[in-house]
Amino acid sequence: MNSRVYVVATGAICALLVGCGGGSDASSSSPPPPPPPPATITRAEAFRFLNQASFGATDEAAQQVISQGYEPWIDAQLALPASLELPAVDAAYAAMAPPVNNFAPLQGDRVAAWFENSVRGNDQLRQRVAFALSEIMVVSEVSLKQLPWAVADYYDTLARDAFGSYRQLIEDVTLHPAMGVYLSMLGNHKPDAALNIRPDENYARELMQLFSIGLVQLNLDGSTTLDGQGQPIPTYDQATVEGFAHVYTGWNWAGGASFRQARPSIANQSLPMQAYAVQHDTGQKLVLGYPGAALQTIPAGQTPVEDLADALDNIANHPNVAPFVSLRLIQRLVTSNPSAAYVARVATVFNDDGTGQRGNLGAVVKAILLDSEARTTPAADTDGKLKEPLLRLTQLWRAYNVSSGSGKLVVPQLSDVLGQKPLQAPSVFNFFSPFYGPPGEITDQGLVAPEMQIATEYQNTQVTNYLFATAFCYIPKPLAVCPARQANSPILDTAAETAVMANSGQLVDKIADRLLAGRISPALRTEAVRQVDLIPTNLPELRVAEALFLISSSPEFARQP
Amino acid sequence: MSNFDRRRFLRAAAAGGFIYAFGHVPNTVMAQMAGSYAPFNDYRALVCVFLFGGNDSWNMVVPRSDAEYAVYAASRQSLALDQTTLLPISPLTPDGAQYGFHPAMSGVQQLFETNRCAVIANAGPLIAPTTKAQYAAKSVPLPPQLFSHNDQQDQWHTLKGNAQSKTGWAGRMADVLSATTSGQQLPLNVSLSGQTIFQAGEQSVPYTMGPEGPVEFFGFAGDALADARRQGFENVVNASYDTVYERAYASVQHRALQVSDSVNAALAMAPTLSTTFPATNLGTQLRTVARTIAVRDRLQMNRQVFFVAAGGFDTHNDQVADQPGLLGGISDAMAAFHAATVELGISQSVTAFTQSDFGRTLTSNGDGTDHAWGGVQLVVGDAVRGRQFYGSYPLLEIGGAVDVGGGRLIPELSSDQYAATLARWFGVADTDLETIAPSLGNFATRDLGFLI
Repeated sequence: MNSRVYVVATGAICALLVGCGGGSDASSSSPPPPPPPPATITRAEAFRFLNQASFGATDEAAQQVISQGYEPWIDAQLALPASLELPAVDAAYAAMAPPVNNFAPLQGDRVAAWFENSVRGNDQLRQRVAFALSEIMVVSEVSLKQLPWAVADYYDTLARDAFGSYRQLIEDVTLHPAMGVYLSMLGNHKPDAALNIRPDENYARELMQLFSIGLVQLNLDGSTTLDGQGQPIPTYDQATVEGFAHVYTGWNWAGGASFRQARPSIANQSLPMQAYAVQHDTGQKLVLGYPGAALQTIPAGQTPVEDLADALDNIANHPNVAPFVSLRLIQRLVTSNPSAAYVARVATVFNDDGTGQRGNLGAVVKAILLDSEARTTPAADTDGKLKEPLLRLTQLWRAYNVSSGSGKLVVPQLSDVLGQKPLQAPSVFNFFSPFYGPPGEITDQGLVAPEMQIATEYQNTQVTNYLFATAFCYIPKPLAVCPARQANSPILDTAAETAVMANSGQLVDKIADRLLAGRISPALRTEAVRQVDLIPTNLPELRVAEALFLISSSPEFARQP
Repeated sequence: MSNFDRRRFLRAAAAGGFIYAFGHVPNTVMAQMAGSYAPFNDYRALVCVFLFGGNDSWNMVVPRSDAEYAVYAASRQSLALDQTTLLPISPLTPDGAQYGFHPAMSGVQQLFETNRCAVIANAGPLIAPTTKAQYAAKSVPLPPQLFSHNDQQDQWHTLKGNAQSKTGWAGRMADVLSATTSGQQLPLNVSLSGQTIFQAGEQSVPYTMGPEGPVEFFGFAGDALADARRQGFENVVNASYDTVYERAYASVQHRALQVSDSVNAALAMAPTLSTTFPATNLGTQLRTVARTIAVRDRLQMNRQVFFVAAGGFDTHNDQVADQPGLLGGISDAMAAFHAATVELGISQSVTAFTQSDFGRTLTSNGDGTDHAWGGVQLVVGDAVRGRQFYGSYPLLEIGGAVDVGGGRLIPELSSDQYAATLARWFGVADTDLETIAPSLGNFATRDLGFLI
C-alpha cells in the first residue's frame, strides 16, 4: 500500500509538470528511477497482459507474447484488419426463406458473429477495444430490433476505427444510422416556430456527456477541476446543447428521394446518414467555449456538412477529451481505479502521440497497455477490476478452445443469463456506469467498481448457474442428467483435465493454470481438491466438473488482475 | 449416478426458469443509529415505481376545460391529446379548471375517482423554492446538471442537492429504522430492477432479486455431494481476499447464498392471487412484490421498501405512437397491484408511488420531447388521501410564469417534500426527516398531506 500512495502523490505533482509521460514518476525529491523491465515475460505476466488486451489469455497467445514481447505483439495486432459482423448478417439473411417481414432474428446472427470474432478472431486487441468503445459510445438493439444490418455495421465501424483518430471515430459514430435512430439525430429537422418545434436535443446532449467531454471540466489526470468555491465547473449549459441540436439537423437515411421520404433499406443501414439541406437550420450556432477553441459560434449560412465538421472539431479539441476518453478506456481494459498519474500519462499521449497527432487511438491503447501501472505486478488492493460476465465467459471459452457442432456459439437467453449482451444495454448509459461503486469499502474510499453494478445477488446467481451448467454439461461427455445439447451449444475441451483427473491436486492445478495463470489461492485449491476427492475415479467427468465449477465461479476468477 | 434433482437441474441449466424463495439475512450491522423507535406493531410497505427516461407527464394528467386545454394544445401542437379522449376526473377540491388522465390510463383514473390515487401536480428536484426570476439570476441554489438523465435520477434517489451523497433516501430510512426492524429476515430494501443508489444506506444493504423473485443456486441441495459442493462454494466465498473487487463480489455471493437458504420456503407459502397482472415486465415485478408482501409474517417483516421500474420513457421521438403503451402500462400494472393488495387485505398498509428522471419539454422536436424538470407524480393506495391534487397544476404555457425555456417548468413542490411525506407515513420520526430529505427545512410544508 505504501508504494501505491507514493505513486499517487508523485502523480499529482507529475500532472502539473510538462513531459512527465512515459511511465517515469520523477518528482522534486528525485526517487530512484524505476527498475528496468524484466528481460523475460513470465507466463503469469503474459496472462495478465492478455486478459487486458484480448478476450482471454490462452497458452498459445501467451507463448506469442513471451516470444515477441509486449510492444511487438501490440504492433502486430494494430496492423491486423478488423473481423466483421456484417457478412454474417448478410449470410444469415440470404439463407432465410422470402418473404422476410421480421428482421429481428438476424440480431441473433449478429451476436453469434460477435462471439465468433471475440473468441476466435485474430484481431483480438482490435475486437477488445471495439467492445470497450461499444460500452462508451452506446447504441442498443433494444431500440433497433428491425435494423440488424445497422447494429452489426455500427460494431464493425467501432472495430475499423479502434486504432484510428478519435475525430474520425466520432464522425463515423455521429453519422452512423444506428446512432442516428438510437439517439434520434436521424430525422431531426430545423425549427418551426409556428408549431413550437425546435431541434431534438438527444444526440447533442449525449455526445458531449457520454462520448467525449462529460459534464464538468477535468484536469489532465482525470480529476475534476474546481472553482474558487471548491465547486465543479460545468463544461456546457442548456444553450450549448441547443446550439449543437441545431447543428445536427437535416440528416436522414441515405438515398432518400427527399428528407421526408428517406427510409431504411438493407443497403443504407451500413451507409452514413445523408444531409438534406432543406431541413438543415442555417442560423448561427453556439458551441463549446474553452481556451484555444477555434470558434465559439458556428457562422450562419453553412451547409450541414460544414456545420458538422466545425462542431465535431470543436468537441474533439476540447481539453476534456483526452482525460475523459483515456480514463474510460483504462477502466474498460486495465483497472477501475487508475492512479491520477496513469491517466495523465495516457491523456498526454492522447493529446500528442509524439508525432504531433492528437487523438491517435492506437497510440492511446498502446500507452494504456505498456504503462508501468498495467505492467508491474499488481500490489495495491485496488489494482485490476472486476470482469464483466461476457468477458468471464469468453475467457473461459478461449482457455478451453470452445467449439460446437454447428460451429456457431450461442447462449440461449444470453441477456437474462449474463445480464448483458453485445450492443444491448438498457440505455445509452451502458450496462453499468463508470462512476458506480457498491456500498461499503469501495464507496467509502471514493473508489469505483463499475462492473459491480450488474453483479447483483440475482445476476450473480444466474451467472453462477450458467457456469455450473457449463462445467457439468458443456464438456465432451456431459453427465447423464444434462439436457440434450443443441447443435450450437458451446462445448469446452477438457481432455487435458480428464487425463490428469485421477490426481485431484494435479487436476485442480491444471484448471488453475488455464484460468488463473497458476495463481490459485490456498483456500480455493483446498476446497476444490476436497470436493474432487469425494468422487471416485470411475466418474472422471464429474471430478473435472466439480473442480471446474468451483474455480470458474470463484471471486478470484471474477477479478481481472 | 444422479447427484442432484434432475428436474431442478434442467430448469437452472436452461437458466431462464425462476424458483421462488426467500431466505434469512442476518442483521449484522444494525446499528449505532439513534434508535428512539418503539417496535412497530403493524406492517407498512412503500413501492417505488421508477419510470426511467423521464416521463412526459404533461400528457399523463392533462387540462380538459376549454381555456386551459387551449393553452396546452397551443403549446404541444402535434403532441397534444384530443380533448374529447381525456378520461375525466373530479378532484374533491377543484382549482377552477378541469382535468383528465391520458386515454390509456383508465385503471388509474378509476383509482383516482374512488379516492385511492393522489396527483402530485408539479414536483421535482429543488434545493429551495425557486421562481423564474431567481432561476435566471441564479440567486437560489439549484440542483446541478438539470436536464441530464443520470444526474436527475440521482437527485430523486438521493435528494443530495449540491452535496455529494453515497446513500439514497430509502437506504437512509433503513438506517434510521434499523433498530426497530432488526428482526426482519430480509433487508428492508428490496429491488426487483437492479441496484440503484436509492436503496443504498450507510449501514443497510439492499437485496436485489429478479422480476419474478430470487433464483436458487443450482446443484447446492438434494444429497450429500450437493451439500458438500455448497459448503465448498461457501467456504470459498467466505475466504479473505486481497482486493476490493474480490471482496465486493464475494460479499454479494455470500448474501445471495444466505437468502437462497430458506428462499423457497416463504414464497412457496404465498396464496395464489386471483388478481390478474398485465404480462409486462412491470406487471411481473409488481406481482412478485404482492406475493412477497403476502408472506410478510413468515419473514417477520414490519417495514419494506420495494423498487420496481419500467423503461422507455425517454420519448425523444415517436411519442404519440409510444405513449399509450407506456402510460397504459403504468396504469394497468399499478391498478392490478392495488387490486392485489385489496385481495390480500393489506391495501391500507401499502403505498405505491412514481418517480422519474424529469418531466419533459412542452415544446416538441417534431415527433417527441426533450429533457425538462418538473412533472406529475402519482401515489396509489388505501392510505392515500386520494381524489386530490397536491400542489397547483401549472398553466402549460410556453414562456409562462414557471417556464425556464422551451417549456421546461420549474417544480413547485420538491422531491424532498414528496419523500418526507412518504417517509413520515412509513414511520420515520419528524426529527429524522431531514436525514431522509436534507433540504426539507427550506420549504414551508414538511408534509404534503397526501397520506393519512
